[in-house]
Amino acid sequence: MKQIIELDINDEVHELAVEPYDSLLRTLRDKAGMQGTKKGCDSGGCGCCTVLVDGKAVYSCMTMVMSVEDKKITTVEGLPSEGELDPIQQAFIDAGAVQCGYCTCGIMMATKQLLTDNPKPTEEEIRKGISGNLCRCTGYQKIVEAIQLAAASY
Amino acid sequence: MALTSVQSFYSPEDSKAVIELLDKHEDSALIVAGGTFLHGLVSRGLLSGIEALINIQKLGLNKIDISSDAINIGATTLLGQLKNCPEVKEQAWLGAIKDAMEYPPTQIMNSGTVGGSISSSCPFFDFPVSLLALDGNVQAEGSSGSRDIPLEEFFAGLFENSLGSNEFVTGVRIPVPAGSTTSAFIKMETNANDLAIINVAVCLSMSGTGDCEQARVFLGGGVGESPVRSPSAESALVGTKVDEEAIEKAGEAVLNDLDPLSDHRASAEYRKAMGKVLLKRALASAMQRLS
Repeated sequence: MKQIIELDINDEVHELAVEPYDSLLRTLRDKAGMQGTKKGCDSGGCGCCTVLVDGKAVYSCMTMVMSVEDKKITTVEGLPSEGELDPIQQAFIDAGAVQCGYCTCGIMMATKQLLTDNPKPTEEEIRKGISGNLCRCTGYQKIVEAIQLAAASY
Repeated sequence: MALTSVQSFYSPEDSKAVIELLDKHEDSALIVAGGTFLHGLVSRGLLSGIEALINIQKLGLNKIDISSDAINIGATTLLGQLKNCPEVKEQAWLGAIKDAMEYPPTQIMNSGTVGGSISSSCPFFDFPVSLLALDGNVQAEGSSGSRDIPLEEFFAGLFENSLGSNEFVTGVRIPVPAGSTTSAFIKMETNANDLAIINVAVCLSMSGTGDCEQARVFLGGGVGESPVRSPSAESALVGTKVDEEAIEKAGEAVLNDLDPLSDHRASAEYRKAMGKVLLKRALASAMQRLS
């Protein structure tokens, strides 16, 4: 049975009709029309769907939308501010840290929490910080370099 | 997550309301908090009749209370909160929990809860094995009141536990051991985001003269339908200084108590071989922590 809920996504309140079993991922993509957040394994194994809930990175495929009604959700669409790309986004472009790009949004969201908590991470801390995100193209080296580049401007 | 049979999602604010909902919906209700393992249960076909989800995140159970005789960890305490708890970071006897919190990725630390990790009753999880070594108790509440269940008696097979149908987990209680106690945990995994091939937790209580007075050895992750205890390894340790020789003997002894599963992660033979290796490493790590 559908219910109407209000969700704060990227500082904007959205009124959405959801099923009581809907995941945050399905709600973002299919109901709020925000497809930056990607659906990969849909079971918490790949990290493509990572978003921030109250500033903390979570798998949106595993997050029940009904449990985040009173929380602030940030997706990749919410990273730029005042029309400028976030330094993390710019660094991924500058370092060439994207191949197929499917994992990129999730990794940038995990990076957002990593750099907010720890603006100058070591390489090991970076690798640990993105250990919940899989990339099947790059071998991670360019991604780590992008995060180091982003950290330089944080 | 396709739990399409679900009709209602509740977020009650006290345990009385939770119990009323459990009474009303009986076996068609499921207690949830982080929801991290919902998919795991759905994909195994274990939630087909679930019509109501009862979210207990508004009960105020996300806290850790520390007294001189016990640590009480509320059911909705996030794994990340536990990792950052100063006692967990610093005290040797809580080393097994500190170690177990090193493995999950950020996203799980931010959503997985202590209560969910226990009540899922999944033998492949890490935190329950560390808690078994520390002789933890599960705190449950239901219509006939609240009770403590020793964790060893709580697990009752694959995804099964001894909770009554109108009971739910409100937290875990770990008794503070007397004297000099140390513990450690090690997990073997295929990648940073997988369930354990095998995991081991040990807890050792040492006398003033450096003799092992009590040893608790538990293994999880595909060793059985619930984590298993190794009385043979424990006997090989009690009365020794837990030196290299005793550790070697405990490593041999643990094989007597292991009859693991074979699955896509590893064969039974491999799990046995690694159980021995990991136990020896965990014992060395626990002893290192004490010095």
